[in-house]
Amino acid sequence: MKKMRNKKKLFLEIYRNKHIYLFILVPMALFLTFVLYPICRSFFMSFYDWKIIGSSTFVGFKNYINAFNDPILNISWRNTIIYCLATVPGQMIFAMTAAILLNQKIKGRIFFRTLYFLPVVTSWVVVSFIFMYLFNSQAGLINYILKDILHITKQYYAWLSNGKSALFIIALLGIWKGIGWSMVIFLAGLQGIPEELYEAARIDGASQARLFWKITIPLMRSTLVYVLVMLIIGSFQVFISVYIMTDGGPMHQTEVVLTWLYTNAFSYLRFGYGSAIAVLMTVFIFIISIMQIKLLSKPVEY
Amino acid sequence: MLGFRFFKNAILYVILFFGVTIAVIPFLYMFSTSLKDQIYVFEIPPKFIPEAPTIQNYVAAWGASNFKLYFSNSLIVAVSTVILVVLFSSMLAYVFARYRFPGNSILFYSLLITLMIPSIVYLIPEFILIKKLHLLDSLIGLILIYTSSQLPMFTFLLKGFFAEIPRELEDAAKIDGCNMVRIYWQIMLPLARPALATVCIFSFLFSWDEFVVALTMINDVNKRTLPVALMMFQGQYFTKWGLVFAASIIAILPMIAIFIIFQRHFVKGIATSGLKG
Amino acid sequence: MKKIIFWLIITIFTLSLTLIGTAEEEVTITFWHTYNVESNEYITLKDVIIPKFEEENPNITVVEQQIPYGDFHTKLVTSIAGEIVPDVVRMDIIWVPEFAEMGALASVDSYGSFSTIAEQVFPGPLNTCKWGDSYFGLPLTTNTRILFWNKAMFEEAGIEGPPTTWDEFAGAAEKLTKPGEKWGLAIGDCSPWNFLPWIWSGGGDVTDEGITTATGYINGEDSVNAIQFIVDLFNKGYIADTIIGGGIGMQDGYANDVYGMFPGGPWFYGMIGGQFPNAEINTSLWPAGKGGSVSVIGGEDLVIFEGSENKEAAYKFVEFMVSEETQLILAETGQIPVLNTIAESDYIKNHAFYPIYLEQLKTAKARTVHPGWQRMDAAIKLGIEEAIHGVKTVQEALDGVANEINAIIEEYK
Repeated sequence: MKKMRNKKKLFLEIYRNKHIYLFILVPMALFLTFVLYPICRSFFMSFYDWKIIGSSTFVGFKNYINAFNDPILNISWRNTIIYCLATVPGQMIFAMTAAILLNQKIKGRIFFRTLYFLPVVTSWVVVSFIFMYLFNSQAGLINYILKDILHITKQYYAWLSNGKSALFIIALLGIWKGIGWSMVIFLAGLQGIPEELYEAARIDGASQARLFWKITIPLMRSTLVYVLVMLIIGSFQVFISVYIMTDGGPMHQTEVVLTWLYTNAFSYLRFGYGSAIAVLMTVFIFIISIMQIKLLSKPVEY
Repeated sequence: MLGFRFFKNAILYVILFFGVTIAVIPFLYMFSTSLKDQIYVFEIPPKFIPEAPTIQNYVAAWGASNFKLYFSNSLIVAVSTVILVVLFSSMLAYVFARYRFPGNSILFYSLLITLMIPSIVYLIPEFILIKKLHLLDSLIGLILIYTSSQLPMFTFLLKGFFAEIPRELEDAAKIDGCNMVRIYWQIMLPLARPALATVCIFSFLFSWDEFVVALTMINDVNKRTLPVALMMFQGQYFTKWGLVFAASIIAILPMIAIFIIFQRHFVKGIATSGLKG
Repeated sequence: MKKIIFWLIITIFTLSLTLIGTAEEEVTITFWHTYNVESNEYITLKDVIIPKFEEENPNITVVEQQIPYGDFHTKLVTSIAGEIVPDVVRMDIIWVPEFAEMGALASVDSYGSFSTIAEQVFPGPLNTCKWGDSYFGLPLTTNTRILFWNKAMFEEAGIEGPPTTWDEFAGAAEKLTKPGEKWGLAIGDCSPWNFLPWIWSGGGDVTDEGITTATGYINGEDSVNAIQFIVDLFNKGYIADTIIGGGIGMQDGYANDVYGMFPGGPWFYGMIGGQFPNAEINTSLWPAGKGGSVSVIGGEDLVIFEGSENKEAAYKFVEFMVSEETQLILAETGQIPVLNTIAESDYIKNHAFYPIYLEQLKTAKARTVHPGWQRMDAAIKLGIEEAIHGVKTVQEALDGVANEINAIIEEYK
C-alpha cells in the first residue's frame, strides 16, 4: 500500500517538474547518445573476448581475473599512482601561488598570465617532443647546462633510458604543463571573494598568512575541491606524454595504465581486456573522487 | 610604508619572472628550433640563438598542402563547440545546483562518472554509432561528440559556481514573477561571467587540440583538423623538427588570442557588488 | 492520344537511362597510405601514378588518403570494427598475416593475372602476403638493411675499408669510439628490426620453419651468441645511447661524424641528402657471421579489404602498381621494386645505390609471417632490452622470450 503511494508521489513529482526536464532535455540527450551509450557498450565488451570481425565469445569475468594477475598492469598502477602523487600537489601549490600573485593589480598582469598559460595551450604531442629534445642525452639543452655550464654533473645523462629518471621527467612535464590550467580556475575563484572581507580582516590586524588560511581557502573550497578532483582524474589518464617519450619503456618501467590499455587494445587486439582495465580504473577513481567530495565539501557560510 | 610596498612589489616581480622563465624556456627553445634548418637542429653544443635563422619552416608549414583548410576546419569545430558547450553546461549546472527533482543526483553523478573513463576505451563503439548516424567524415559529427564529452567537466565546474551564489537575487526575481528561463538567462549567466570565461577558454582548448577522435571519425582529407595535420608532418622514419615546431606555433596562436580576449573577465566587481545590495 | 504519347515518352526516357546505366559503371576506390605529404614518393603518387592509372581506366577514380604513420594500425583496426574500410591499403608486410587471419583481407589468388605476377616478383616479399593457403595481396616495394659506414671517421681512425666479418666489425667499433664524442656503432632500439640481421647472420633464428616452437631457436646457442656479441660491444661503450632511448638521430649522427656505423636502408638517402647535402654516404653488406650475411626484409604490400565493394577495380589498381611501368617510377623515388625483370635491368644495375640492396636481398629473410607477430616482436624487444640493460643474462632473457613466443603460438593454434 505504501509502495503504491510512494510511486504515485514520484510520478507527481516528475510531472510537477516537467519544465525542468524539458529545459535540460537537449543537453542530456546529447550526453546520453554520444557518451553514455558508447560507454555502456564498451562496459559490456569487458565480459567478452571481443573480436573486431565475427562473433565474440562470452567469457564472464575472465578479463578481470587476468587483470589482477597481470604483472605489467601492476607496474602500471604503481607508476600511475606515483605520477598522481607527484603532479597533483605540485600543480595546485604553484598554481595557487601564481593566481594570488597575479590577482594583484600589478603592471603586466596580462603578459604574465598569458605566458603561464602557454604550456597548457600547447598540445601534449608537441610538448612531449620538446621535453624529449630538451633532455636529449647527447645534444639536449639541460645536459649541456648541467655539465658544461653549471658543472654539476660529470657527464651527459640519459634521462629517458632509466625508469626512475624517465618517470621524473614525465612528472615534471605533467606539472609544468598543468600549472596554468589550475591557475586560471583559481583566478576565477578568487574573483568571487569580496574585497571587503579582506579589508575588514586587515583592519582587525590579521597577517597575510591568516588572511590566506582563514578567508581565501575556506571561500575557495568548492573551487579547490573541483581542481583537486579534476587533477586526480586527469593524472590517472596520463597517456600521450608517456606514449611519445618512452612508450612505457624501458622494459615497461614507465608503463602507466592507459599506455598498457592502449597497447592491449590496439596492438594486441584484446579489446575485452582493455575494457576491463578501463572499468577497474574508473571504479578506483570514482571511489577516490567521491571520498574527496564528501570529505572536503561543506556548505559555505558568510 | 611606501618603502615596504616597493620592496614587496619587487619580490613579487622576481618570483613572477622566475616562474615565467620556467614556463617559457621550452617554448623559446621550440621557437628557436623552428627557425633552424635541419642541420642545426641536433648540433652539439645546442645553441639557443640559431646560427642562420630562417623562416623557411613557417613558409613551408603554412603553405603545406591544405594547411589553411585544416586550420579553418579546426576553427569551425572549436567555435561551434564552445558556443554549444557554454550554453548547455550552464543550463545543466543551473538546474542541478538550484532545483530539487527526482533524478537530480543520479543524472549529475552519471555525468561525473564518465569523466573518469578514459575516452580511448569507447572509441570503437563511438565510431560505430557515428557511422550509423551517417555522421562520418563530417565536422558536425565532431562538434556533437566534442560538445557531449565536454558537458560533464564543465557542468561540474559551473555547478560549484552556481551553488555559491546567494539565493536572494533569484528569490527576488521569482517574487517578481520571473520563470526559470528568464532567471537563467538574465541573472545566473551574467553573475557567472568569470566561470563562463573559463569554460570558453578550456572548451576551445580541448576542441582545438583533440586528435584521436578527429583522426578516427574523419578520413576525407578536406575535413581534417589541425592536430591530425601536425601528425602528418611526422614521417615513418624521421621528422623535420623545425617544420613540426613551426606548424605547432602557428597552431597555438588562435588559442593565445582566445585566452587574451577572455581572461579580462577575471575581474572583480560586478560579480560581487550585485550581491551586497 | 495524348496519354499514349505521354507514356511513350516516359518509356523512351526510362529506357535510355538504363542504357546509359549499363555502360561501364563509374567506380571510386579509396587507397590508404602513410607517405609523408611533403615527400617525393607522395608527390609522384599523386601527380604521376594515379593520373596515369585513371587515364588507362577512365571509369575508375582513385581517392588517396594519407594516414599518420604512428596511428595507422589503430586506424585500420577501428575501421574494420566499424565496417567502413578502404579498398586498397599499402600495408607494412608484417601486418598482413594479422589482418588476413582475422578475415579483414580479401584473397587475390583467384584473379586471372595473379599467378603470372606471382612468378615475376621476388619470392621473399611474395611470401609475406601468404597466410594459410591463400595469398592476400601483392608486394609493392621492398627494402632491406645494410651497413652504412662513415669513411671520414674510418680514415681518421686508420681502419681500412668496411668490416666484412664480425671480428673486423668489433675491431672497427672499438677504434672508432671516442668516449663522449664519437661512437663506433649506433642502433635505433632493441627491436627485432635491428637485431634479427645479427641473429640470422650468426646462424640463429626465431622459430623453426613451421613456426611450431621457439625453444632451441631464439634461445639457441647461435642466437644467444649473436645477442651477446652486441651486448659486449654495448658494455664496452662502443654503441651510442640511441639503443636505450637517448641520443640524436642516425642520420644526424652519421652526417656529423659522430656515428661511425649504423644499419640503414634506402630511405636514408633522401633524408641525409635533403638535410646534409655535403655528407658522403658509403655502404657495405652486413658483416658475415656463422650464418653468412643475412639481413632483414622490410617493405610494403598492397592488400584489398574484404569489406570493399569494388574489389575488381581495387585489384586493377594493385595490378597497375605492380606493373613494370609503375615499379620503375617507384624505383626513381627511392623505393626498391619487387619485379625480377626490373632487378635485372640496366637501370638498376647502373643506379647510384640500388645494386647493393639487391645483393643483400638475395639472402635476406622476412620476419616471422604470423598473425601474432606484433606480440612476438614486443617479447623479443623486451628480452633484448633486459640483456642490454644487464637486468638478465642473454641466455636468461632469451629463454624468457622463447616461452613467451611459444605461448603466443599456442594461442593461435
